[in-house]
Amino acid sequence: MEIKYTTQGLLIYITIVVYLLALLMTLLRRPKAGHLLYILGFITAVVSFGYRWYHVRHIPMQNLFEVFLCLGMIYPVSLFCHRVLRVGGYSADMLIGAIVLVPAGFIFNAQPQRLPPALQSWLFTPHVAVYMLSYIFMAKAAFCALCQLAGKGLNSGENVLPAEQATYRMISVGFPLLTLGLILGSYWGKLAWGDYWGWDPKELWSLASWLVYVGYFHFRYMFGRRHPRINSAWAITGLVVIVITLLWVNLSKLFAGLHTYAI
Amino acid sequence: MDRLKYAMMWAGLTFILLLIFLSIYGAFLGSDRAESFFNCPALAFYWLAFALLLVAGITEFRRLLRVPCLLLIHAGCIFILAGSMLGSDAGGNLQKRLLGIDKIRKGRMVIFEGRSENRVISEKDEWVKELPFFVKLKDFRIEYYKPEYLHIQTHNGRTWKLPVEIDTEFSLDPKLGSVTILRTFENFKITIDGDKKVAIDDPEAGYNPALEVQIKDPNGNVTAKYVFERFPGHIHPEDKFLLSYHRVIRDYISWLEVIKDGKVLAEKDIEVNHPLHFGGYHFYQHSYDDKAGQYTILQVVSDTGLPLVLAGYVMLCAGVFWHFWLRHIFARVKSKSE
Repeated sequence: MEIKYTTQGLLIYITIVVYLLALLMTLLRRPKAGHLLYILGFITAVVSFGYRWYHVRHIPMQNLFEVFLCLGMIYPVSLFCHRVLRVGGYSADMLIGAIVLVPAGFIFNAQPQRLPPALQSWLFTPHVAVYMLSYIFMAKAAFCALCQLAGKGLNSGENVLPAEQATYRMISVGFPLLTLGLILGSYWGKLAWGDYWGWDPKELWSLASWLVYVGYFHFRYMFGRRHPRINSAWAITGLVVIVITLLWVNLSKLFAGLHTYAI
Repeated sequence: MDRLKYAMMWAGLTFILLLIFLSIYGAFLGSDRAESFFNCPALAFYWLAFALLLVAGITEFRRLLRVPCLLLIHAGCIFILAGSMLGSDAGGNLQKRLLGIDKIRKGRMVIFEGRSENRVISEKDEWVKELPFFVKLKDFRIEYYKPEYLHIQTHNGRTWKLPVEIDTEFSLDPKLGSVTILRTFENFKITIDGDKKVAIDDPEAGYNPALEVQIKDPNGNVTAKYVFERFPGHIHPEDKFLLSYHRVIRDYISWLEVIKDGKVLAEKDIEVNHPLHFGGYHFYQHSYDDKAGQYTILQVVSDTGLPLVLAGYVMLCAGVFWHFWLRHIFARVKSKSE
């Protein structure tokens, strides 16, 4: 764990603090101030992402530091879920935004890297971007599922769906992106390495995470809302497998493979 | 839901759960062992049973036939499984036995510059087979990111990263002096000219990138040093700095020609992410001669089953987006317009 005494580090820390202040204001029943601070945090996160982009001269999605920097720009997803999908947890999103920036600010190496030949492809940005977007939706789904298991509603009093239905809706939005990410990755593997499926640990964990959500849909089709706790357990398991896919596979020496450059 | 459908759903769920556990188990094996594991006879039976269950599901569940997006999703999975099975080792062996089609599934070609080759080698299965055409390597080149850098490190850990700019003097520190890069070499060699040793950039075969660096100390004393990319030096007690020369590969490119009966049938610069497709095979830039840059190593992969897999991908993606996104968007637009 190290503090980054750089402009990049400063921008990350400001974003974390502003997100936490936004959460605090919301909890203190000052939603307008909370909302304004949330927007301010988002703007700082965008500036931080843009600064990194300028610094490395390619879209910053190459390694875990850059991916977590990207995940910090959660606000548009949060707003879309709240306004369009009627899924609550708006204040929890502020916390998620702050949490995902902590590894970027204190743990991951921010040393700029040149893109290796394999990453110089038009598929680089869409493959990583759709995965990141799907992970945010799946994280929100897991949060809704946790609320369901805890017997708590999502921001009671608001015009939002009950937790079990909100979980389903989040997974329904995130699943096509997860599928697209998997397929784009496979197609890219074919173009770069000659195999659309290389049995690489990252690929297998990604398949496992996709299959957990496939299982969720089939289970929910069979039993509907009769076993809400099991439905929620599927959603939480999905996020656990995603976290393993995103972090453990890249960081652990157990899983050496084609994706080790993404550290 | 009747009993048969219920049993099929449970079977489907069991297959999904089993594949989750198998994928996680496979992840711990590493890619080579995982590939063998997922292609073993027991797993071949699993894949076949999974595909058959999906076919049975489509015929039994009327909803899957009535709702096009659901049909696309499930049929897409069948296509992917069928294409993968067709392109596997077992699928290749079956095609050879039943249809007499004997295609190379996967192997490597080593081709020297200016030479043609049709032999494909499999190190894993220890065979050498021949393609029905020749592949000629007209040229092989490596491109590097610009600028390249000279790295300087002192005994106490101070570092500088200087761009390789010829004849530009970089002041390091008043106590340390300055550094000037005088010349770059792609293939550094020493020749004897009379009694003198002379450094030359040899145009003949070889690969030894280097820099000629001039170090001027604060008293104005000048020394020259050669810094080699492939032979990084060490700090000696008398040296003030460790110098190292780093270049980052941007791309490696093979200029290929496909030749059959003396005629050039195809030509392409292949690089990572840009393979050549010819005669039912894909040719990928896999590796190269990192010592002298004289040969390229291509990966040759058969395209058997690939169209089915790609069709499956398109169907699966289209079905999933249609089912989960588009029909809801259309419904919302329709209800708003009404």
